[in-house]
Amino acid sequence: MSHRLLACILVLVALAAVSAAQVRPSAPAAPAAKTWTPPKTAWGDPDLQGTYTSDDFMDTPIERPVALGERLYLTQDELAREAAQLAKEAEADLREAVAPDARVSTGPPGHWGERARRPPRQTSLIVDPPNGRMPPLTNEGQKRLNATEARQTALTPQRPPASWEDYDLYIRCITRGAAGSILPSSYDNGTQIVQAPGYVTLLHEKVHEARIIPLDKRPHVGQNVRSYLGDSRGHFEGNTLVVETTNFLDNKTGIGRNGNGIPGSDALRLVERFTRIDPNTIQYEMTIDDPKIYTKPWKISFPITQESGYELFEYTCHEGNFAMFNSLSGARAEEKAAAERAKQK
Amino acid sequence: MRSRFRDSIITMAAAVLIPVLPLAVSSAAGQAPAPGVPRLPDGKPNFTGIWQSLGTAYWDIQDHSPQAGPFYQLGAIGAIPGGQGIVDGNEIPYQPWAAEKKKENFASRLTLDPEIKCYLPGVPRATYMPFPFQIIQSGTDVVIVYEYRTANRVINVAKQREPAVDTWMGISNGHWEGNTLVVEVTGLNGQSWFDRVGNFASENVRIVERYTFADPDHLDYEATIEDKTVFTRPWKISVPLYRRKERNAQLTEFKCVEFTEELIYGHLRKQTNK
Repeated sequence: MSHRLLACILVLVALAAVSAAQVRPSAPAAPAAKTWTPPKTAWGDPDLQGTYTSDDFMDTPIERPVALGERLYLTQDELAREAAQLAKEAEADLREAVAPDARVSTGPPGHWGERARRPPRQTSLIVDPPNGRMPPLTNEGQKRLNATEARQTALTPQRPPASWEDYDLYIRCITRGAAGSILPSSYDNGTQIVQAPGYVTLLHEKVHEARIIPLDKRPHVGQNVRSYLGDSRGHFEGNTLVVETTNFLDNKTGIGRNGNGIPGSDALRLVERFTRIDPNTIQYEMTIDDPKIYTKPWKISFPITQESGYELFEYTCHEGNFAMFNSLSGARAEEKAAAERAKQK
Repeated sequence: MRSRFRDSIITMAAAVLIPVLPLAVSSAAGQAPAPGVPRLPDGKPNFTGIWQSLGTAYWDIQDHSPQAGPFYQLGAIGAIPGGQGIVDGNEIPYQPWAAEKKKENFASRLTLDPEIKCYLPGVPRATYMPFPFQIIQSGTDVVIVYEYRTANRVINVAKQREPAVDTWMGISNGHWEGNTLVVEVTGLNGQSWFDRVGNFASENVRIVERYTFADPDHLDYEATIEDKTVFTRPWKISVPLYRRKERNAQLTEFKCVEFTEELIYGHLRKQTNK
């Protein structure tokens, strides 16, 4: 997450920029041919290094609204509306930052979170199938979807959590999975890329994750070594880093924000492509091939950007997970109070 | 005979070649550069690789004898091996109150040790835990990823960074002194321990680490610990780090949070009717 003070400054800058009525859309998914040549590392690999964020796409749905059909990009009018909405949010954030008492909502103030810096052009993160929707599910996929939805509705005041296991892996500070760690969410969307000869490393701010990707064409680890983030192998195709990841644990995280969504299977093969298309932008692409869950592979694509002053902070989730403690102890206290009321009757 | 002859030719060739290589730069600290260590194109030693400390400092950074573990059911598996410490002179110069606190930490270690709860390990503890860690060294910065809890930190070499808030892993800023990577760690929150027996520092601690190749497969690791709140003088630990040589060695994910939830939240689980 960016520094608070910096956030305020950014808001000011954003206000100025947006009110200039000049809509600058985010980078297109399929970049036109450019004369810009990406730099190379001292040892000759395409240089992807830097700290990137997917903030611009935090409000873009993964699946496209059906009404938009096969239209991937927003119209100029829609873009202008998005820009106006961002400007309104920025103004509200600024007002709250300057006069916190003016706030009426009960949630955290808007400026605690992060906002898109420019309106995203896409109507969905899914670019293939062309309708921007996940392909039909297998029977197993449908079963898992149903179970996920049942669990999501389970935590009502009438059905308080029986244990931490009623919460997802992200709330439990365990992981968001490989896909969930880079898909945009409402805050802390930073990924720092560091390269060495033979390796690319992705550091994800949220949940304090690290993925180390060897480039030496070694085989995957044995089938019995399973993990949340999977086993990644990378290579360069031209200027594009291609990462193939397998060996996932079964039925843990899904292809969704913060690792939510339908939990993937142990057959999942994730292929990611990182292409630096200008000094501050990487076009990121993810192909999901999970034949036990989806009837055919599908693809997500969006740009991630380097932003001035944006840096990663330590995300110490588990150490400060007081919400877990409070939620469980609150549930038990309410049960105890209810039992005592019942006794008195 | 023939292979020995070839060896001697190689040795002779090496003797001629080695002085030509750009590694004969003696360091500011005065240690001779280790021959044959991997280097980046800019000539800096390349620490990229998987490293691990051996020994038993993870249990106690001072000299210690073997003893039974806290759970008799685990028998020999749960017993604690003895070993030589890694503290120079073996003495940790605690102020009197701090020596008392260390004893209290030890007595309550099963509830207080952050490692038991899978908390981030801090520095320098992460270095000599019984898990490997991987260094990824770019031309500019250095990343260390520890297998334990996927703890990680960036050592900022190109551009130094001020700690904005205190954290478990702190902020690491590095610079080169000859062939040694010197890392200053500040902004630590003082909540991590040095080992499983409760050795500790405060949030005012400043740690200066030194990473130097002893030979291509061994690093000399040193850390000087300064904390006027807790100690009467700076003190130092020294421990060798061994390169993991297994073919295709890699870190294995160890997400221990889920192994601690029953311990931390178990008393808040809904009791089913008995």
